[in-house]
Amino acid sequence: MRAVHKVKDILLLGLHSLSVHKVRSTLTALGIFIGVCGVIAMLAINEGASAEAQRTLRALGSTNIIIMSRKPPQDDSKATGRTRGALNYGLTKRDETRITGGSVPYVRRHATIHQTKKMAYLAGKNLSVSVIATEPLIAEIVRIDVLAGRFITSVDMLRRKPHCVIMAPLARSLFGYENPLGKTVRIGGEPLVVVGMLSRLPQALVGEGAEATDSVIIPRTTGMDRFGELIVEARTGSRTFERVEISRIILQMEEEKDVLAAAPIIRSLLERNHDQEDYDVKVPLELIEQKKKQMFLWNVMLVTIASVSLLVGGIGIMNIMLATVVERTREIGVRRAMGAKQWDIIAQFLVESVTLTTVGGVIGIAAGVCLPWMIQRYLQFPTETSGWTILLPFLMAVTVGLISGIYPAVRAARLDPIAALRHE
Amino acid sequence: MKELVNLEDLWKIYPVGPGVQALKGVNLRITEGEYLAIMGPSGSGKSTMLNLLGCLDRPTRGRYRLGDQDVSTLSDNELSEVRNRRIGFVFQSFNLIQQLTVVENIEVPLFYRGLPRRLRHPRSREMADMVGLGDRLYHKPAELSGGQQQRVALARALVNEPLILLADEPTGNLDTHTSNEIMVLLDELHSRGRTIIMVTHESHVAVHAERAIHMRDGQIESDTDADAENLGRHT
Ligand SMILES: Nc1ncnc2c1ncn2[C@@H]1O[C@H](COP(=O)(O)OP(=O)(O)OP(=O)(O)O)[C@@H](O)[C@H]1O
Ligand SMILES: [Mg+2]
Repeated sequence: MRAVHKVKDILLLGLHSLSVHKVRSTLTALGIFIGVCGVIAMLAINEGASAEAQRTLRALGSTNIIIMSRKPPQDDSKATGRTRGALNYGLTKRDETRITGGSVPYVRRHATIHQTKKMAYLAGKNLSVSVIATEPLIAEIVRIDVLAGRFITSVDMLRRKPHCVIMAPLARSLFGYENPLGKTVRIGGEPLVVVGMLSRLPQALVGEGAEATDSVIIPRTTGMDRFGELIVEARTGSRTFERVEISRIILQMEEEKDVLAAAPIIRSLLERNHDQEDYDVKVPLELIEQKKKQMFLWNVMLVTIASVSLLVGGIGIMNIMLATVVERTREIGVRRAMGAKQWDIIAQFLVESVTLTTVGGVIGIAAGVCLPWMIQRYLQFPTETSGWTILLPFLMAVTVGLISGIYPAVRAARLDPIAALRHE
Repeated sequence: MKELVNLEDLWKIYPVGPGVQALKGVNLRITEGEYLAIMGPSGSGKSTMLNLLGCLDRPTRGRYRLGDQDVSTLSDNELSEVRNRRIGFVFQSFNLIQQLTVVENIEVPLFYRGLPRRLRHPRSREMADMVGLGDRLYHKPAELSGGQQQRVALARALVNEPLILLADEPTGNLDTHTSNEIMVLLDELHSRGRTIIMVTHESHVAVHAERAIHMRDGQIESDTDADAENLGRHT
C-alpha cells in the first residue's frame, strides 16, 4: 500500500519537474517523436510495397514454374542453330517431353504456349496482335477472367476449330461497340470466329515485354494448322528469321513445396540439352521468397536507421538529464537530508527520462499511423501498418529512455548528500 | 531525563592527502529536551559534528547512539530512514526546493515517509500555520523573505516529529531582526520540550541555548554543562 502511492507520487514528481521546463521537455521529446514516427511510417511503406509485390507474384501462381524461350546473347562466330539464314533457339518439343515425361517429379499438369505477332484485319482496320496458341488446360493453371462468351475448349482443340478468344481492349478497337461474339476476324490471313472475350490475362500467359491488351488466344492445334509448327518471325529491316518451337511452358506442381524441389531438376535438365542460354526458368515462389528476403533486409536496415536516430535521441536525453542533475544537485542534497533513499532519487530521474520518451513515442505512434494512411489515401501508394511495426519502435523508444536515464539517475543518487547540500 | 545522543570517542578523518582529522575522539551526551549550542572557530569541526549527528555522514571511528539505536554502522538506506523519521535539519542557506510551493516543501519529509497525499497536505498546512505562514501556502521560496524561508525550513524540519532538531548557523544569512524572530521560534520549541542542537559562532545567538560546547581542532574544548559540574564540585 505504501509502495503503491509512493510510486504514484514519484511519477507525479517527475511530471511536475518536466512541466517546469516545458520547452526543454518538448524539444527533447521531439527527437524521440520524429524517430518513432519516421520508423513506423517507413516500415508501413515497406510492408505495403512488399505485400503488393507478393500479391503480384502470387498471381503468377505460387505452384507454377514458367519456362520460357529467350533469344540467346548474339554470338556470330558460334553459328550454332543457324540454318538457311534463320536463327533457331528456345524450347523444343523434345524439351517438353523431357520435362513432362516423368523425369521431373511432382508435375501435376502443364500447358505450352506458342506466341507470335500477326496482323488482324477487319473491315479496313489493320492491327498488330499477339497470337497465343495454347491448350484449354491453361485456364486451370493460371487465372483467366472471361468477360463474355467462353474460353477455348477441348472440343475446339480436338476439332482444330478456327475459334479465338480476344482481349476486351482489342475487341473494342476492332469491333467498336458491336458485340464481337460470333463475328469473324482475319488474323494472319486466316478467318477466325470470336467465341469469347477476356478482361484480364496473367503476365505468365502473355510473356515478358508483351502487352496483354492486344492478345488473341487460339487452340494450339488450330495454330499448328493455320500458322505452322514453327514460329517464324521476320525481323523488320533484316533478312534473318527466328524459329522458336515453343515460346513458354507453364508447369503446375502438386504443392508449393514441390516447386523448390523441381526447379533445380528442370534447370539441370535444360542445361544438359542446350548449349546456349536460350531459355529462362522463372519460379514465382522463388521470386516471392527473394522478395521476402529483400524486404526483410530492408526492414533490418530501416530498424537500424531507427536505432541510430533513437540513439541520437537517447544521447540528447542523457545530455539533458545530466545537465538537470547538475542543475538540481542542491535539491538532491536536500531530498537526501530529508530522508530520500538512493532508489528514490534514481526513480525520480528515471521517471523523467522515461516519461519524455513515452510521450514522444505515443505521439510518434499517432503520427506514424496517420502518415502512411495519408500516403495511401492521397498518393495511392500501398502501405501496411501492423502490430509489430508500431510496437517495436515504441518499445525501442522506451528502452532508450530507460537506458539514457539510468546513468544520470544513478549519478544523482550517488552524490554525497553533504557535498550536494553545499553545491552552489 | 532520557539520554538521546551518546557519542563515544568519535573520529572523522577525511581521506584527503594525508587525511584531514576533522574530529578527534569526541565524547558527548545529550539528554531529551536539551538546547545545545556548538561554538568554535572556523574549521574546528562544528559542521562535521552536526553532519554526523544528523546521520548525513558516518564516523571513521567511534560509536554514535541515537535514542535506542546504534547508528554508526547503519547502511545508506537505514540512515535515510533515520534522517527521515528522527532528525530535522535547518540550514544556513534555507535549502528550500525552488520549484515547489511552501506546502510542497514542508511535505517533502512526509513524502519520503510514504504518507499518502491526502494526509500530507493537512499536516503540512498545520506546520505552516505553526510558523506563521498560513497565508503563504502556495508561494514559491523566491517570493518569500529570508526569515520566512527559514521558517518554512523549520516547519519542514519538524513535520515528521523528529527526536532532534539540528540547525547549522540558522541565522547566519539573516539580519538581526529576523534572526531574533527565528530565535524566538526556537526558544518556543525548546520550551515545549523539543531537543535542539545548533551550530553558531555568534554569542548573542548562543545565549538562547541552555548549554554550549566550544570546539577547537576537532575536539571539545569546553562544555558549560561540565563547567557547571566542575563549579559545583569546587564550591
Ligand atoms: N569533505 C571534506 N573533505 C575534506 N576535508 C573536509 C571536508 N569537510 C570538512 N573538511 C575539513 O574538516 C575540518 C572541519 O570542517 P568543518 O566544516 O566541520 O568546520 P566548521 O567548524 O563547520 O567551520 P565553519 O565555522 O567555517 O563552518 C576543516 O579543516 C575542513 O577543511
Ligand atoms: Mg560549518
